[in-house]
Order: sequence, then C-alpha cells, then structure tokens
Amino acid sequence: MIKTILLKDLKLYFSDRKGILLTFLLPIILITLFAFSFGGVGRKKRVPKPTTLLVVDKDSSQASINFIHKVHSLPMMNLKQMTEEKALDKVKKGKNVGVLLFNKGFQEAVMNGSPIPVELQFDAAREIQTRMLLSVVQESMQRAFGKTQVNSNLQVKTTPVIKLTDNKPNPGLVQAVSGTAIMMLLFSIAAIGGSLLDEKEAGTLKRLLSSPIKPLHILFGKMSTAMIISVLQLAGMFVFAWLAFGLPIFMDTLTLALLILCISFAVSSFGIFLVSVVKTRQQLQGMSSIIIILMSAIGGSMIPIYMMPDFIKKVAVFSVNYWGIEGFFDIFWRQLTVVDILPKMGILIGMGLLMTLLSVPLFKRNIISLD
Amino acid sequence: MIQVANLSKSYGTVQAVKNISFEINEGEIFGLLGPNGAGKSTTLSMLSSMLKCDKGIISIDGIKLNGNARKFKTLIGVVPQEISLYEELSAYENLLFWGKLYGIVVADLKKKIDETLKLIGLYERRKDLVKTYSGGMKRRINIAAALLHNPKVLLLDEPTVGIDPQSRNLIFEIIESLNKQGMTIVYTTHYMEEVERLCDRIAIVDNGEIIAQGTKNQLQELVPNTEEVQIEFETFTNSQFENLKSAISTQMSKDSNTVHIHAGVKELPVIISTCNSLSVKIKDIQLRKVNLEMIFLHLTGKQLRD
Repeated sequence: MIKTILLKDLKLYFSDRKGILLTFLLPIILITLFAFSFGGVGRKKRVPKPTTLLVVDKDSSQASINFIHKVHSLPMMNLKQMTEEKALDKVKKGKNVGVLLFNKGFQEAVMNGSPIPVELQFDAAREIQTRMLLSVVQESMQRAFGKTQVNSNLQVKTTPVIKLTDNKPNPGLVQAVSGTAIMMLLFSIAAIGGSLLDEKEAGTLKRLLSSPIKPLHILFGKMSTAMIISVLQLAGMFVFAWLAFGLPIFMDTLTLALLILCISFAVSSFGIFLVSVVKTRQQLQGMSSIIIILMSAIGGSMIPIYMMPDFIKKVAVFSVNYWGIEGFFDIFWRQLTVVDILPKMGILIGMGLLMTLLSVPLFKRNIISLD
Repeated sequence: MIQVANLSKSYGTVQAVKNISFEINEGEIFGLLGPNGAGKSTTLSMLSSMLKCDKGIISIDGIKLNGNARKFKTLIGVVPQEISLYEELSAYENLLFWGKLYGIVVADLKKKIDETLKLIGLYERRKDLVKTYSGGMKRRINIAAALLHNPKVLLLDEPTVGIDPQSRNLIFEIIESLNKQGMTIVYTTHYMEEVERLCDRIAIVDNGEIIAQGTKNQLQELVPNTEEVQIEFETFTNSQFENLKSAISTQMSKDSNTVHIHAGVKELPVIISTCNSLSVKIKDIQLRKVNLEMIFLHLTGKQLRD
C-alpha cells in the first residue's frame, strides 16, 4: 500500500517537468552564487583590485601633492581627488564609504616630524568596510613615506560623517527591518498573484471572462489587491519595529509613506509578472522561490550590500530589494530629503512599470487563454 | 434569437468542433446532447465568449460576438460546469460580487439577489459560506450567479453533474420557471432524460459535429422503428450476438447480457423464435418507445454513454 501511494505521488510530482526543473534549480543557483561571492570560487590568483578612495587636499602644498601622487601610484590605491563639499556629499548620500582629508599643516608636519594631519571621514553604517579601508590607507602611507617618518606620526584620524546620534537608529536595525520586510513582502505578494491560478483551476476565471469585465481588469484588480496588502504589510512591519525596537518611523513620515508606496507598486507588479509567466502552482512555487531568494541575496536583504563582492554590487541594481533598502537607509540613517530620495523612488516605479508591461502579453497568453 | 454559423475550434491537431451551425428561437430550450468529449462544452464556451473560435459567426439578438463583445456578454448568463463560486464567501457575498461585474446599481442588485435566492430556495441560507453547502445547493447558487443581470439567454453547461435526483429536479423546475418567464435556454448534457424532459429542440453532437437536430418528434423520424425490443439473457456471448445479428436483419446493439433491437411488437414472435433456435435463455423482454439513446445509437452505432 505504501509503495502504491509512493509511486502515485512520485508520478504526480514528476509530471510537471518545468516545475521540477525550477525546484532543483533554486539550490543550485544559490550554491553557485554564494560560492562565487564568499567561497573564493572562480577567483584568479592575481594582485587584488586597487581600493578607490576620495581625497581632498586642503593643504595644497608641494608635500601634499607629491604624497598624494605617491600613494596613488601604489598598486593597492586609486585616489580620486575632489572638493571637500563634493566628496562629503558623496559619502552622505551613500555613494562612497569615506573621504581622506589632507588638512592644512601637512607639509609642516612632515618637515617637523610631528603627527601628520590626515583624517578619514567615513559613514559609520559601513563599519567593517571602513576598518578595511583604514588598514589599506595606513599601509599605503607607510609605503609612501618609506622609513623617513616615525610610525606613530602616521596615525590617520577617523571621524564619522554620518554618526549614530540619539535621533538616529542603529544602521544594523535599519538593515534588519528593511531587508527582512522587503524579502517577506515578495513572498506574500507571490502568493497573492498565485490566487489567479486558483481562480483558473476553480473555474471562477471562466465566469469572470464571460462577464463584461475587460480581461486586463482582472489582472489589474489582482495587482491592486497586492498593492494594498503590500502597503499594509510594510507599514505593519515598520510600526512593529517602532514599538519593539524604537525605530523612529515618524522622523519623516511623508517620505517613508512615499517610499512604501513605491516599493509596494514594484513588488505587486513583480507578483503579477511572476504569475503571468507560469501556468501551474508548482511552477509558481519553484520560480518565485528562485527569483525572490536570488533578488534578496543580491539585493542586500540577507547580507548588507557593502559586504558583497563588486560583481554582486553591479547586479544588485536589478533587484527591488536593493533600491528599497537603500531608500530606507536614506530616510533613517542618512536622513536625506524627499528630493534626494526621488531618483530611487523613480527607479522602483520604473521597475514596476516594466514588469506590468511585460505581464500584459504573458497574462493573455498563459492565464486567460483557456485553450 | 441565437445564430451560430460554421463554428470551428481546434486544440493543436485535434479538431474539437467542426463547422457547427444552428439557430435557436426566442423562448426556446435548446439542448446539446452528446457523449463526453463530443464538443458540447467547447461549443458552449465559444458561445459564452470564454473561448475564441477559430472560425465562424455567433450572434444573439443581432449582436455579433466579434463586433460588440461587451454588449453581447450582457445578453447572456453563463453557468459553467465547474462550481464557479468563492467558497470562503457567503452565497449573498458571491452574488453581490458577480452582480456588480455587470454594473447593476447596488440597491437594484440587492433586490434582485433576494428575488433570485427565493427562486432557487436558498434565501434562508444566504449568509452561510458556500463551502458549507451541499453539492446541489452550490449548483443552484452557480445558476443564480448567472441570472442577476436579467440575461435574455441562459447558457448551462451540464448543470446537474454530481448531484442527487432531488436536487436535479429542483434545478429542472428552476429552468422551467425561467423559461416560462421568456428566457431562452441552451442546455448541454450527456443525460438523454434531461433533454427529453426540458428541451424543445435538440442537437445531437458527436466527434465535434452536429449529426442531427430538431424537435424530439423530428429526431424520432430518423429511426425506422418507433419502438425497441430489449431482451435480457441469462448469458449472451459475442458469438451468440453475431448469430442473432445474421438471423435478424435489423439494427441491434449489445450491452453485457442485454441486446437492444430496433423492432416493434410485430417482429417480436420472430425474434423470440430465433432466440430459441439459438438456444439462448431469455431472462426478460421489454418493448420500449424510441428515445434519444436509441436515436443516438441509430445515428452513430454506439451508446450515448460510450
């Protein structure tokens, strides 16, 4: 009897080949992704890529010019010189980790053998990255000076550009709440999209199609439901984070509400796109798991994006998670204005529009066609 | 009222409906009768605009489906074969939802829902979730959902599948009552007794084609004998059936130990003596008036339930 049940279940399980392929594909893709990211797989034994660092020369002396040139010529460093205002703006907007300032008196300090006025201003949210950067900077300076300078005088002063204050949440908390909220939202919206397949299986879709409603209204009706649930879920998560962990959600309520709306639009479009691609529940399960976990892994929901290798950072921009998490960091950590965050909101809306446009022909072909 | 001309539909290489044409008059109950897989549901799906036809014209009250689909859809009420309801909603909530899709003013819709629930005998249970209903009750709500916008034509796809005889009778009464009020009805089934009871005209469908259509009397004329002799034997082998066929030159079919012979009371003595000469022991003999089952057998050479 057990054997009979086993054989029947295996037959049913393997009957949906596309679904099976997707189910096996998920762990394979994740293993490959993490192996390339953290397992050293595929890395050639070569000199590491130089670290890019913003530099401001406030001393503008011959000594500082020569020194910056010397450090820049080292294989481990790639310095980008600019004005202090521009460099600090880049750090404040999360575009760069830090900026190295050669303050006034550098030449004098070098000649007198006193501690040199070099300062690394950094984003405190990127603690690990800053530490790594600092050690590369210290080493580069030692090399540039050679043995002419006493080591103790080469200590680089560190000052956070964005620092933890009373009215600012811990960046780890922002990461945990926003990363998890977006990832879980993607899963729930995929399930809501899946209700379209349930309608097809139950026969209610047939009745809907025989009514005067336009077929695309069925799709947009589902999308609207997903959008409202997304807003409620995200808002609920942030209210919970406020009540349980003191996340200051009322510091810029308007911007937070706008960002939640934009993320909800992108995620609900993603939900209807997913369901329009597949034909069965099993396919949806496999496909949604792969895409959501992949998007969450590369988009910073699982591991902060700054800890990811460069190639992951490049592809992260294709995930909703990345733009959503960055947007929340802009609000809670960087405390940028709504105008500064508008481009990120625009990208989320653009992603949503693209997925909606792609969903329309797929929905017509895969869902409403009863052939 | 309804004109269907040269309707065809294929699924890949399989031609499910082949050049079907028929006309239905206002106030008629028109039956599409045929075995499973004959093409009845595909025809009805195209008629209800759920499925696009490959070829052909469908029009109701002069409005072509391809020309003004939205207007066309307001003329029809569709009862799919599946229970197309939301099980987690009450009957009332389901009807309210389906009614709103037709743009009915809510106050009018609420009145219509109450009226329809009374017609199908479920007014008292209107607030119960559909999932708590019996199969027959769900079927009745399934019909009710198609009536809210006062359609001129009601399309029913096997509306009595899987229900008990009592519920089936109740559904027949609902259909008859709607028809009395002037509603044109298209009814698909593979139960010949259902079309015999309900339908004014019948189209017999097999292998995607209409093989005959007309009133029951017109269809009966297609069979040479208006009666059938049904003989049940103690045992009846295939070779005995072949012997009987060669001895009596009349159309007949075998179903287990029973044989159906297209013959009347006049031929009965000859049939009995032939059976005796073949040494087959008769258990029971019945003389039956010709029915749609026999007509289908006569036209296709196979039983309706095959």
